[in-house]
Amino acid sequence: MPDHTRNGMQCNEFDTLLSDALDGILGGAVLDRFQAHARICKTCGPLLAEAEAGRTWLKGLTEVEPPASMVANILASTTGVDTQRLWTPARAPQPRVSWWEQVQASYLEPIWAVVRQPRFAMSFGMAFFAISVTLTALGIKPGEVATLVAHPATIRHTYYNTQARVIRYFDNSRSVLELNAMVRAIRRTPPAEPGPAQPKERKNDTTQQPEQKQERNYSQTGNQLILADNPLGPSVNDLPVVSVTTYRRFV
Amino acid sequence: MEDVQVVAMLVRRCIAGDSAAWEEIVQNYNRKIYNICYRFAGSADDAQDLTQEVFIKMYRTLSSYDPSKGAFVTWVATITRNLLVDHFRKTKQDRLTDSMDTTASEHEDAQPLSEQIPDQSAPPDARVRQREVSETVHQALGKLSPELREAVILRDLQDMDYREIATVLKVPEGTVKSRINRGRAELARLLQRTYRQVM
Repeated sequence: MPDHTRNGMQCNEFDTLLSDALDGILGGAVLDRFQAHARICKTCGPLLAEAEAGRTWLKGLTEVEPPASMVANILASTTGVDTQRLWTPARAPQPRVSWWEQVQASYLEPIWAVVRQPRFAMSFGMAFFAISVTLTALGIKPGEVATLVAHPATIRHTYYNTQARVIRYFDNSRSVLELNAMVRAIRRTPPAEPGPAQPKERKNDTTQQPEQKQERNYSQTGNQLILADNPLGPSVNDLPVVSVTTYRRFV
Repeated sequence: MEDVQVVAMLVRRCIAGDSAAWEEIVQNYNRKIYNICYRFAGSADDAQDLTQEVFIKMYRTLSSYDPSKGAFVTWVATITRNLLVDHFRKTKQDRLTDSMDTTASEHEDAQPLSEQIPDQSAPPDARVRQREVSETVHQALGKLSPELREAVILRDLQDMDYREIATVLKVPEGTVKSRINRGRAELARLLQRTYRQVM
């Protein structure tokens, strides 16, 4: 600002007093000199008008309203407390619902919505099938599941019962096999014939012969081993019956 | 706005861990801080973020407030102003005072700000017109240099006295007055061509 003197007031002094003049706190002789300088000075006169206009523009600006969620965000970011009442100060009263409707809306509906999807329906079907097979194999009836869940000690009883059932099954199978073997042995016994019984020449008896290195190709005589394809060969009843007894226990 | 003793008590309660006192401070000052940030930054989103940052900084440094050194609102305004200056430097919005006829962008064929402002000759509604005028003044305020802008915001929008502004800006009172005068005059010049009929 040029340092000119008009009516006993310099432009620097005018600039200093400008704010006070706009605030209305100038008075007396100072105000007179200020106004006289503004009328005469070609620099300070427009400056006064512009400053006054600018102040008027700024005073016309109204306060803006902060976002409603800002206070809640500030409190959440400072104290870590999420004050819900600041988000929704006045919440409309909710209609009263029964507990079953609440359970239905909260738990059952979402679960049912998932189950209804085709991709999950097949998975649930497979899971049900697998569980059913497992329970059947373990000898657990569907009606016993609730008892098993309620009383875990019954699982042990069920385990031993199942084990005993399996052992009985194999013991019974062994008895049947032994009975079959006895029947075969009785059938195989030849009737009594007169005359000296000549010992039957055993084809494969090599007890009287020195041990020879066998270099035969078994593939050429393989037809002799396939009894079902060779009606001229020895019958099933001619074969020795070997009784096999299994003493393995399922523990 | 504030009773010194009441505010001092609130601050002491906050420091002692009273969350209700802190909530009261937030309720009392969030509007003021938001308006300062909004007028300085020019954007509602930036203003909200900056206001939140101001309160976070206040919350962390509340124990450093000394009532004997000045009013609480001055302390709050100082924190706000410092954060705004930091934000201004970070975003490199070093916009010097220029005329509204200068192009807002780097493209020479871009439309000047005075032509971007909608015509005010036939306002459909007084409230709409008032809103448009406020928006225009807000845009013009954003064209001021940061030094002039912060001075006029604190004086004409926040009604702070010169001594408080001098404390906040850390400059002498004479400088504060000079900046306010220049800011007001520059703003009037920016708006003059658009609202010549009003002037």
